[in-house]
Amino acid sequence: MQINKILHVGLLCLLTFCSWAQQTGGSLIGTIRNAEGQALPGASVSLAGRSRGTFASSEGTYRLDNISAGKHTVVISFVGYQKISQVVYLQDGKPTRLDVNLKPESNDLDVVTIVGRTEVQEVNRQSFNVTAIDAKQLYNSTLDLSSALDRVSGVRVRESGGVGSNFNLSLNGFSGSRIRYFIDGVPMDNFGSSFQINNIPINIAERVEVYKGVVPIWLGSDALGGAINIVTGDRFRNYVDASYSFGSFNTHRSVVNAAVTSKSGFTVRLNAFQNYSNNNYKVTVDAADIYTGAYTPNAVVRRFHDTYHNETVIASVGVVGKKFADQLLFGITLGKNYKELQTGARMVAVFGGWHRRGNIVMPTLKYRKTDLIKGLDVTLNANYNLGKEQNIDTLSARFDWYGNSKPNPNGEGRGRSLSKYGNNNGLVTATANYKLSDRQAIAVSNVFSTFYRKGTDAFNESFTQGDVRPRLAKNVLGVGYTYDEKDKWITSIFGKYLYQNTPGQPSFNKLGFGVAASYFPTPGLQLKASYEQANRLPEANELFGDVELVQGNLSLKPEQSQNINVGFNYSFTAKDVHRFLINANAIYRYSDNYIYSRFNQNQSSLVLDNLDGVFTLGGEGEVRYSYKKFVSAGATLTYQKLENRQQYVFDSNGNLVLSPVYKDQMPNIPYFFGNADASVTLRDLGQKGSVLNIGYNMLYVHKFWLYWPSRGGDKLSIPQQVSHDLNAVYSLKNGKYNIGLEVRNITDNRLYDNFSLQKPGRGFYINLRYFFNSFNI
Amino acid sequence: MKFKSTLALAVAAGIIASCSDKNDPALDNPGNFILAVSPAASTGVADYLLTAQNLDTGTISTAGNGVEQDGTYRYYVTHNGKFFSMLYGQGNPGAVTAYNIQNGKLTKLTNFQTETVQAFAPVNDDLLLFKISRSLTAPTSSWYKVNTNSLTISSEGTVNTLDVTGLGELAHFTWIKQVGTKLFAPYQTINDRSFNTAYPNQASIAIYNYADMKLDKVITDKRTSFIGAYFTDGLSVQENGDIYGYSPAAATTGGTISTTKPSAILKITSGTTEFDQSYFFDVEAASGGMNITSWLYLGNNTYVVNAAAKAEKTSGFPAGKRVGIVNVVDKTYKAVTGMPDVASISNLTKTNYSPKDGKTGYIGVNLTDGTSYIYKIDASTQTATRGLKVEGGSVTAVQNLK
Repeated sequence: MQINKILHVGLLCLLTFCSWAQQTGGSLIGTIRNAEGQALPGASVSLAGRSRGTFASSEGTYRLDNISAGKHTVVISFVGYQKISQVVYLQDGKPTRLDVNLKPESNDLDVVTIVGRTEVQEVNRQSFNVTAIDAKQLYNSTLDLSSALDRVSGVRVRESGGVGSNFNLSLNGFSGSRIRYFIDGVPMDNFGSSFQINNIPINIAERVEVYKGVVPIWLGSDALGGAINIVTGDRFRNYVDASYSFGSFNTHRSVVNAAVTSKSGFTVRLNAFQNYSNNNYKVTVDAADIYTGAYTPNAVVRRFHDTYHNETVIASVGVVGKKFADQLLFGITLGKNYKELQTGARMVAVFGGWHRRGNIVMPTLKYRKTDLIKGLDVTLNANYNLGKEQNIDTLSARFDWYGNSKPNPNGEGRGRSLSKYGNNNGLVTATANYKLSDRQAIAVSNVFSTFYRKGTDAFNESFTQGDVRPRLAKNVLGVGYTYDEKDKWITSIFGKYLYQNTPGQPSFNKLGFGVAASYFPTPGLQLKASYEQANRLPEANELFGDVELVQGNLSLKPEQSQNINVGFNYSFTAKDVHRFLINANAIYRYSDNYIYSRFNQNQSSLVLDNLDGVFTLGGEGEVRYSYKKFVSAGATLTYQKLENRQQYVFDSNGNLVLSPVYKDQMPNIPYFFGNADASVTLRDLGQKGSVLNIGYNMLYVHKFWLYWPSRGGDKLSIPQQVSHDLNAVYSLKNGKYNIGLEVRNITDNRLYDNFSLQKPGRGFYINLRYFFNSFNI
Repeated sequence: MKFKSTLALAVAAGIIASCSDKNDPALDNPGNFILAVSPAASTGVADYLLTAQNLDTGTISTAGNGVEQDGTYRYYVTHNGKFFSMLYGQGNPGAVTAYNIQNGKLTKLTNFQTETVQAFAPVNDDLLLFKISRSLTAPTSSWYKVNTNSLTISSEGTVNTLDVTGLGELAHFTWIKQVGTKLFAPYQTINDRSFNTAYPNQASIAIYNYADMKLDKVITDKRTSFIGAYFTDGLSVQENGDIYGYSPAAATTGGTISTTKPSAILKITSGTTEFDQSYFFDVEAASGGMNITSWLYLGNNTYVVNAAAKAEKTSGFPAGKRVGIVNVVDKTYKAVTGMPDVASISNLTKTNYSPKDGKTGYIGVNLTDGTSYIYKIDASTQTATRGLKVEGGSVTAVQNLK
């Protein structure tokens, strides 16, 4: 028997704490064909909410053994065909046959009567306050992960410019390292600049999960305000998915994802992607004369030193479906990026030579085995990043917006720099899930990581040489228990133990815990609530400094936050063809020992301190509507009030004084924003099997103040932003060939996420994609 | 129904959002005094420029009023009937804003771009700005002459501040001062970015011809340590042209104060470019151990000084919390009474105002409980009187613009 586990379902299993049946149970067998009766090799068969699944053989047959007796929902899917779910009742020791004929997606304009939940929907049905983005629907766009995340309620991604620019993602008002990133559950901390959500294309992911405030233990980390997990999945045994896009500002992007897997289970996988852009968009700026300093107000100029490019290859070889491993992969992630800096923190400061480089060289190991002993699933991941970062500011010149320059001693930034350093980071993660009974499961997860920085700067002999060697080891241990009465109610409780040690320093020990529960009064309605006392340990850049602007502080204490979410999901259908989905959440956050940065007394660097924190109360909602498979529309809206709860702060002399902005709204943080989208899908247009999708997307961000709202009469603000994007995708041959056209920021509005830093105007992009998976080796 | 509640949330959010645009001009106080006020907060701190009719009484606040500046760590200077808000820090060039006062309100004249600098001073109708190197391997310091009539940079150039000292250390100008056609630049010698030196027992001034910014000469005196302090004006030109300079005795080596000299005042007689060897005012001896950390000239050889007891000096950037009256001709130091208890003072402002009547000065006092006041100092009686209360931040500068 060929054991081809559905690996993405396996991951889902970790998410839902489900596990194997304990007793020798029944078997499920059958054949999967299309409407014409032809076998569909490679079609996937899985048990909803379970870690069980397989692929159809070359004859279209499948078999699943050792399934507990009772009611199961079987999900059968194949690309280009409608996914279906079917309830079956299995009996001990007796095979049950389920033969299925899948209908092609493009042929059916009728309502799907048997609706199996997609994995994205399954994730959304967890008790956690979680939103999953179905990345597959965005494969024909040119979005990177951060732009896709920007459409999630509660999330605001602020970019300083075009492709590859600095970004700051905030989730319910938390940002920076208070939000942790994962790829397939593996922490992305310290992956460096070459592998970040602003340069990873959406096509790498199968879905992206956003956990708000309460973070499950299988994402082993010390996230304070939430976590984002990029699930790459294992889409097919054999496939090629390649796309290339070209557009405004000389922007080129390409992505190739491919896998080949032999019958014996030997597999080779490849993800490669590339972004290039000159980012030479026009900006309206007060352009200074470099000699006189006089400004020409509202000059329209092109950016001239803002080229960004990155290239990354993720390759792995290994085996799948073996007795000792469902998956064992050895891989390497190789990548590099080049980034020119056009401006400082304000657009009046112009640079013409300053740039940065970075690379990632990271060997990886991935192991997964379900049912190692009956009921026990384990995963193990390990990686070590040998990458380097470089800051190159050696030009002794001062530039203006017209590209003119004059001599200026000491570089363009904070003094000449030619630094090269590695934040070398090792990581081992292990998880185990054990199913105690049909309804109860326990899970244990452990993440161990190391950090060691080495580097030099030709212009600064004391570079990276502090009093303490920049080295630390950190461990995050999580234990969880779940009680799951399917489609009735689910409760999870969990605890996390954080430990961190720097040689010669007192170590950190911190215990956190949380609970998440949900209840289904009706199948379409879910009520959920979750709570976590979250902790975040000071990280290397905070303890040792970042070798550029941040001065380390070894006496920092861990941050804490109380996070509560309460919400509901409700979906219903009217007259069988109108489908509605509504979800709404209220969030509460109260953090203390917040780590803040401020300038030191002579403005040469930022110093960090723990202070009282921030109180946040917010609400977010989403409404979606679809009519058959023809029209889809939706909107999200987020309002959050972040209140400053630092009653006493350090003044410039280090005295704790009463703050006049105690209980004021936090400045320079968007607090009211939303998205709206609509799309129309036309099928069999011109050619059978073709699909034309026309979509529209709008972003709205309410005006917000740069500095404290209560202070001052004549104030600086970040203006309201509204941007409109349009796209059209024409797919042929059931999705094998795709052509996409996008217009971003159609009205050519001046957009600002950050004060003074103007983002690109109207841009046009064309995207070509080829997808092929019907082959075997 | 659920849909409705989502809508209600959106509407409520919209209402709250629009409410936050309000201002509260209740404590608006038009006048010719300008105070820079910086709210104590750990993030998002900007300076606010407030006007006041007088400094002797009343209350002003940043709540809902004041002209917001782009960030804090800005520095302020009045010259040629204009008030300049200068930026400082982070290495990048940026906008300087010039204001005048009309009907007691600050009115923005223009922005123009300059470098961020470490010293600036009025010279004729110019503002001279100095960006001073802290790198031994790149010892070039830049100057910029800003014409305060055209509000543009009229010329610029560089000087080598390593060659100035002849010691293998950089000359880091503590401040700069116009003296006739010359520019006096008292400096501290530094050998690293933490302002340490191997020469803690000498005071030096680099003297440039203002017209061409050529180094005229360097004068050095070993009776005290360097004159002035980082970002602090240590030189004063009297009505008769005599020049006095104070030393806080704050030179450091390896991060600790290493000078063995007392805080003292030196003199350069009008028309000369040498230290007057017949004049030496040992402030420490005259005051029972006080070290001047900044001063404000009131006229008639009289100064209000911020001072620290010797034991209170813990770094190379001392900020005294005590107030005294110094007469440089009489060589006297008299403590001022009426100030808050030293323990309750967070800091005193260093950019202060005097009508130059020989006896009156105003300084900002920020207390450790977060409240702030302007104190009026009467040098004739050595008394301090609490005046204007400043709410919603600490005072960083006190200026007057006619």
